[in-house]
Amino acid sequence: MKEQLQTMRNACLAALSSAADKAELEQIRLRYLGKKGELTAILKTLGSLTPEERRETGQLANQVKTEITDALEHRADELINEMSVIEGDLDLTIPGLKPDSGALHPITQICYDLNDAFRSLGFEIFSEDDISSERYAFDYLNFPPDHPARESMDTYWLKGSEHESGPERLCLRPHLTGASVRYLKAHGAPARLVYPGRAYRNESVDARHERAFYQYEALIVDRDLPFATGQLLIRTILEKVFGKAVDIRMRAGFFPFVEPGFEIDMKCQVCGGKGCRVCKQVGWIEVMPGGTPHPNVLKAAGLDPSVWSGFYINIGLDRLVMMRTGVDDVRLFRSADLRFLSQFR
Amino acid sequence: MKFSLNWIRQYTDLPSGLTLSQLAHDLTMRTVEVEGAVNPAADLEQIVAAEILAVDPHPKADRLSVCSVNIGRPDPVTIVCGGINLAVGQTVAVALPGSKVRWHGEGEPVEIKAAKLRGVSSHGMICASSELSLEALFLASDEREIMDLRGMEAKPGQPLAEVLDLDDLILEIDNKSMTNRPDLWGHYGMARELAAIYQTALRPLPVLEVPADTPAFPVAIDSPDHCSRYAAVVYQGLRNGESPYWLRLTLWKVGIRPLSCLVDITNYVMLATGQPTHGFDRRAVRREIRVRTARDQEKLLLLDGHRLELDPDDLVICDAEKPMALAGIMGGRDDGLLPETEEMILELANFNPLTVRRSARRHGIRTEAGNRNEKGIDAARMDQAMGVADQLIRRLMPEAAVAAYTDCVARQPEHPVIEVSLRFLATRLGREITSADISRSLEPLGFSIETRQSGNDTIFLCHVPAWRATGDVSLPEDILEEVARMIGYENFTLIPPAVTLEKAISQRDAETDRAIREYLAFHAGFQEIYTYPWIDDFYIEAAGIQLSECLELATPPSPSAGHLRASLIPGLLQAVAENERYLETFRMFEAAQVFQHGETHPSDSEEALPLQTLQLGLAMAGDDPVRLFRQVKGVLEQMPRIVQVEPWSFARQQQPAWADHKAWLNLLSEDGQIIGSFGLLSARAARAADIRHSLTALAELNLDALRPLPSRENRYQRLPQFPQVEQDLSIVIDSGVAWQSIADLIAGLVRRSEFIEEYHGAQVPEGKKSLMFRVWLGSDEGTLTAEAVEAKMKKILKMIRQTLGGEIRQAGQ
Repeated sequence: MKEQLQTMRNACLAALSSAADKAELEQIRLRYLGKKGELTAILKTLGSLTPEERRETGQLANQVKTEITDALEHRADELINEMSVIEGDLDLTIPGLKPDSGALHPITQICYDLNDAFRSLGFEIFSEDDISSERYAFDYLNFPPDHPARESMDTYWLKGSEHESGPERLCLRPHLTGASVRYLKAHGAPARLVYPGRAYRNESVDARHERAFYQYEALIVDRDLPFATGQLLIRTILEKVFGKAVDIRMRAGFFPFVEPGFEIDMKCQVCGGKGCRVCKQVGWIEVMPGGTPHPNVLKAAGLDPSVWSGFYINIGLDRLVMMRTGVDDVRLFRSADLRFLSQFR
Repeated sequence: MKFSLNWIRQYTDLPSGLTLSQLAHDLTMRTVEVEGAVNPAADLEQIVAAEILAVDPHPKADRLSVCSVNIGRPDPVTIVCGGINLAVGQTVAVALPGSKVRWHGEGEPVEIKAAKLRGVSSHGMICASSELSLEALFLASDEREIMDLRGMEAKPGQPLAEVLDLDDLILEIDNKSMTNRPDLWGHYGMARELAAIYQTALRPLPVLEVPADTPAFPVAIDSPDHCSRYAAVVYQGLRNGESPYWLRLTLWKVGIRPLSCLVDITNYVMLATGQPTHGFDRRAVRREIRVRTARDQEKLLLLDGHRLELDPDDLVICDAEKPMALAGIMGGRDDGLLPETEEMILELANFNPLTVRRSARRHGIRTEAGNRNEKGIDAARMDQAMGVADQLIRRLMPEAAVAAYTDCVARQPEHPVIEVSLRFLATRLGREITSADISRSLEPLGFSIETRQSGNDTIFLCHVPAWRATGDVSLPEDILEEVARMIGYENFTLIPPAVTLEKAISQRDAETDRAIREYLAFHAGFQEIYTYPWIDDFYIEAAGIQLSECLELATPPSPSAGHLRASLIPGLLQAVAENERYLETFRMFEAAQVFQHGETHPSDSEEALPLQTLQLGLAMAGDDPVRLFRQVKGVLEQMPRIVQVEPWSFARQQQPAWADHKAWLNLLSEDGQIIGSFGLLSARAARAADIRHSLTALAELNLDALRPLPSRENRYQRLPQFPQVEQDLSIVIDSGVAWQSIADLIAGLVRRSEFIEEYHGAQVPEGKKSLMFRVWLGSDEGTLTAEAVEAKMKKILKMIRQTLGGEIRQAGQ
């Protein structure tokens, strides 16, 4: 009887260790531990033994039963651990299924990045209409009456108003700066604002020149603000765009609406300032104009220039995105070509 | 404009050891950007003066000669040459092997190598002037004429650049960057600026001294508004002809072609002082000089052959009979300087820059003189120009004398004085500054300064020098700029602004605009596009919009794109038409302003702008119309909640011109205004826009009409205490019955209901549709029993049958 038990135990454990799945395990359990199982059958014959044999054999039988039960559990755990929901092979190099997602226009993306940076500095976002008048586009900005930018060769005047002047001569705005006067007239000073938007100029179009472009302008006005404060605006923009501090220099520049005015250069990011083809061997790249609002501009906005001062910067986002991403044709931005636009995430 | 550093050095001694890059940097940082610098000698390496010792015919070529040439080495060399003016004893320029010349004066420079020419070895090349790009200095009457160095002091073997005195540095400055600085348009002005930067001395210019008994020449200024001063200096005893080499060289280096001695003198004076001058041949001038506006249709033949028809806005210089010059721009052909001119009237005048600019623009004439006269030159510059001219004329033509002289002043120039305080300068500059700093910055630039104490502040009275007083410097801020740039902008470091915190910025409109774009891009799978505000009439018409509704540009970017968009739909149609060539399904949106006739006054009552509305436009292309319609509807249904604006509702009130008549809806604001529309593009509009392959769903929404919620709105609903039972229903019902009428009908009986799908077709009778939907049943008192569910379902079906006539198709679980 004892040998019979041992033989059965060995056979059962062997079967268990090679069982391939849950169903086979169940078969083995039924074969040995089921109501009609082999062990059950042996246990049933215990009654026919002497009390001493019964005690010994009973002990052994219980031990075998525990052993088999444990082995069953153990093998079941092993099988779970080995299991996969995948039948057969899975090719891990198959591309993932992408969520349905669109994207913002690359210029909107950079614009929002800059908005975030400026809002963290307490700047408001402002916008003016695309169509403005000569008064806000030129007169209030201290452009002399005969400035060439006022001509139809430069500015898109609206038909029917092109021979009027001042508030009655309407145009697609040639720059954003007029918005600053509108804002200051309405809100007064001190002021910190950005006013990104579209601007338009009558130009011949090629890979580097557009008639419609997107600008980003920021203005800070405060009591007796020193012009060197303007460096804050410049650095904020360049650091956001290039992801690191960029060396800048401010040099003399002339624009009607600022006094003093500056051309702002950044150290060439291609050669690090050593001089290369991109920066024409100068080591610096002209990136934006800036300066202190001209007293006549502040006066037009209803502010006393002996009290208030400030700083403007204005940067073209089309060119900035081109510089940052390698786009080589500015016309692509307004092409609505989804093959191009969907490259920017 | 080009500036010669040698010329500048005549007026000031630049610091010794100053490098070109330092000079370019200092000028760029403080004044104007230096765009480039070249040494004219640089191109002439390995090109030397040489003496021709012998000229023999080439044994195998009639047109070539074999020359023996002394190039300063112990032995002469042999050079084969095709020149037609070769002569023994002649001094010529020889390009040695290794040098570069422009072959026949054309194309890029090529390297010279020792070579055999038709069997004869040639050690270099005897050059024509065009081959060295010197043709303007050494005229050749035939292209085979070689350059003759007769009259030049030259030793054989001496570098040609040395013989020709070419060593110089020519700075290139962009004219546009100097438009506000008329004082810089001559070498003397640039020398003054550099003298101020480097604190070196500026030498004075010569002055014209006319004997008191010199007769006057009749000059009259009829239009003092256009001309404030006119001086006529009449010279006699002149001899015109070719200028001496140094003068031709001086002009040539700064890009002016030498012409004849008298013309060269006028150009030299202009480039030295920035003051344009003009010479008339005395014999051609009848009796007097009169500065007046032109008569209507008066004619003038210009020096360059242009025949002008003048109008009364043009200012002209006339004699007693006729116009002789377009004032400040160009002289006439009939009265100009000739080779045989012996008497000249030298004009020096101060014109109104606006008059000059307008005439130049009207007639489309750009000249060196016009460019300067339209910038606003000070009248005192005329004195400098007279002095320089007189000195030069006497130097070149010792017999010349002033025969008559008139200086007619119609208007006195202004002498502005700007008052500025030390405190203003120190505050706005953001740094400590002393009176000495201010003098050191301003006085070398020509300002004279008086100081006055006022309380504990110092007031500076800055007398603006004449050459900066024509509009350039007029305000305290201009003085600040002069001081700051002389200190050097690189010496000012960031001063962070002080912060006052009052309240957080809340700009719900800007936030909503961004939330909408981000919702569309990131949730709804749309690509943002930008298009132009002007749009081809083709697409405006395709969208069913009348051109008369659109504003128009006076100078359209192209003949068929002169109208501005009144809606974003035309631009979207164009974008769909262009993208469907590459893609089958796509979604895109644009948010931009559209324009309509009307009046708004955003900033002041005098200014009336047209109606300008920020619009959102959506376009989706695909192939299943019902699905497209439901997709665009779903995007719009979800939008108000996600972007946190007041909700809108759908209704059919006004069909968009572009929409399929069955498939469109308006969007209504809470107060019932139409704020947008969406639907499928009609077959007519698709054909008109040449959209061939895709079905298109479109939407437009007025973003200005949206009302952002002041803060995020979400409302909690308790979760059901007892489980709800889901039941799917499928009914057959009249095709025209709207799902919403069923949902409304059973709303009181169910916790919620949801549309699943509908079907028209062979499986259902004509005029009917099969509609499948799901309802949720539940109770607050306990879990519904199977009997209760069954009873409710019976009630629902009965209601639908009785009210709408629907039949059960099957009842699922």
